[in-house]
Amino acid sequence: MIKTHKRVSDLHPEEIITPGTGLCAGCGGLEGLRLALKELGKDVVICNAAGCFTLLSVYPFTPLQGSWLYTTMGGPVPAAQGIRDALDVQLKKGKLPSQENLQVLVVAGDGSSNDIGLGPTSAALHRKLDFIYFCYDNEAYGNTGFQLSAASPFGSSTQTSPSTHEHPAGAEKMKKNLFDIWKAQDPTYIATVSPREPIDLSNKFAKAKTMSGPRMFICMSPCPTGWGFDPKDAHVIAKLAVDTGIFPIKEYFEGKVVHTKRPRKRLPVEKFLERQKRFSHLFYPERCEDVISQIQKNVDDYWSHFE
Amino acid sequence: MIQVRFHGRGGQGIKTASQILGSAAFNSGFQAQDFPLYGAERRGAPIVAFTRISPTPILERGPISNPNLLLIGDETLLNDSQVAPLCGADESTIVFVNSTKSTEQIQKQFPFPAAPLILDLTDRCQNFLGKGHILSTALATAGARILGNIDLKDLLEAVKMELGQSLKPETLQKNLELTQDIFHSLSPCTIPEKPIKALASSPLIELKQTPVHEAAPIILAPGNMALRKTGNWRMQRPKIDYDHCNKCLICYARCPEGTIKIDEDGRPQIDYEHCKGCMICAQECPGHFIQTIRESEGAHE
Ligand SMILES: Cc1ncc(C[n+]2csc(CCOP(=O)(O)OP(=O)(O)O)c2C)c(N)n1
Ligand code: SF4
Ligand code: SF4
Ligand code: SF4
Repeated sequence: MIKTHKRVSDLHPEEIITPGTGLCAGCGGLEGLRLALKELGKDVVICNAAGCFTLLSVYPFTPLQGSWLYTTMGGPVPAAQGIRDALDVQLKKGKLPSQENLQVLVVAGDGSSNDIGLGPTSAALHRKLDFIYFCYDNEAYGNTGFQLSAASPFGSSTQTSPSTHEHPAGAEKMKKNLFDIWKAQDPTYIATVSPREPIDLSNKFAKAKTMSGPRMFICMSPCPTGWGFDPKDAHVIAKLAVDTGIFPIKEYFEGKVVHTKRPRKRLPVEKFLERQKRFSHLFYPERCEDVISQIQKNVDDYWSHFE
Repeated sequence: MIQVRFHGRGGQGIKTASQILGSAAFNSGFQAQDFPLYGAERRGAPIVAFTRISPTPILERGPISNPNLLLIGDETLLNDSQVAPLCGADESTIVFVNSTKSTEQIQKQFPFPAAPLILDLTDRCQNFLGKGHILSTALATAGARILGNIDLKDLLEAVKMELGQSLKPETLQKNLELTQDIFHSLSPCTIPEKPIKALASSPLIELKQTPVHEAAPIILAPGNMALRKTGNWRMQRPKIDYDHCNKCLICYARCPEGTIKIDEDGRPQIDYEHCKGCMICAQECPGHFIQTIRESEGAHE
């Protein structure tokens, strides 16, 4: 029986990540991972792709109670496969007591997850690797100065997709649909989570922890530095992403997609857009009505399948 | 040659301050060099930047260890032994600190080699820009004025050059007003020449070959990151009003750093040694029972 949380006071009291990391003040991704690890506990080995979360551990310091292996941007899932196989072999040979079995957790940014790391991930999904994948989605290559990734949304400006005369919208492609790409390979479980919804997030991790096979989380990660807002507003931004319907909170399990936190009455998308510097070109010097209404239409189209 | 070192935090515009000062000096007919020193750290973490200014070509490279002028954007950095902003300063170094304190007060607290110059830039930035923590224009202006050999007109031009691309015209205008305000609030100093020290040669380092297990970076102490105190990243500090707090623990759930602990009575307790001052807890407390105070004031409570 999976324990379900109802209030924040039900959250697991133990912190698995100690403070002291070099991540930005107000990093939404860190908060998502912190809440996730509270649920997963200590018996976890993290395979971490190069990215912002490289700064979690800086030699000779680690904020973790469990193990951490650092990989290239494309390498966290192959690393997870290697560790899983090694654990399985040792357990089978009886060289490792069963209580030393670890949960293998990949932690990777959206760049790694959507771009260079996707091929190996797809291969691991095909092999039904037993692991959990945590993608902190800050919608760009954050660590190297916020460049365009396949997860950067249409209409956002990044270092490599600024709004220009030729390309007024900034990023011109739609955000890659990582949820559906995973879903097409029929993994055990997929969920989107937001640090603004700690109960929903914790319950999903509690659920995933009891399963085996490939399990994936996409965590919307407000990034004060790259998105351009005051760190104190990280949760306001996260909430608006949910309330405007831009970031649907859902899960996929046993062939069904369920929205676990539905926006009651969807707010207009500009409530989310207007508070971030990366969208400021949509409002100033002139309102880019066509881009804003296209973003609204994309959101409306998405929800029309479920309403 | 005049060597200027800037100290501040990620997000305060310290790199931009060094650029504005460099460009202003260039506009006033000098040669200039400016650059920041980047670590792996992020917004809020201590940052250093440098500007060299000279009537003749500048051949020197690298960080400045004996500055003629030190511009300290945030007095809380003075407390920090890792940053040690006064390092390399001697009696001839002019030190400027952004602070609310008087010279006597601040001299009592920290070992300045000579009396520092002080102005509350945060307050002025708050007044002009509505953002007390954006110090780029303010700190560059303080530097330019103290040096005394940079024209206000050239400085204003530099502010336009460096910020004009990214700021809205209204905001740029406010920065220009801020420049004039600070320029007229400080007086120029005479900067004594520093004799250039000859480089002492150091013996070559001999590299030894060590076994792989010694060379691989393996950390065996779980959770030792807590030894690094990130409380020095803070410009503002959250303070819980326990008379009203109803122990809902929203602040605890929302703190990205996990620096809010719950005590035996179920009350949230902030670990100030690590709190980075993002102020999410203050924003999210449903009854607004967490106050925001300026770190330099809160630290002495
Ligand atoms: C194969 C490879 N290419 C490039 C890099 C340089 N690099 C390090 S972090 C990074 C950005 C990663 O972006 P993302 O995966 O979105 O994570 P974030 O930085 O946003 O945390 C890049 C390009 C690398 N480490 N490895
Ligand atoms: S750049 Fe963004 S994602 Fe990266 S550590 Fe900073 S806030 Fe977090
Ligand atoms: S959010 Fe406010 S009321 Fe709730 S526990 Fe924290 S300080 Fe107390
Ligand atoms: S300001 Fe509040 S939320 Fe931010 S690190 Fe400090 S205690 Fe945590």
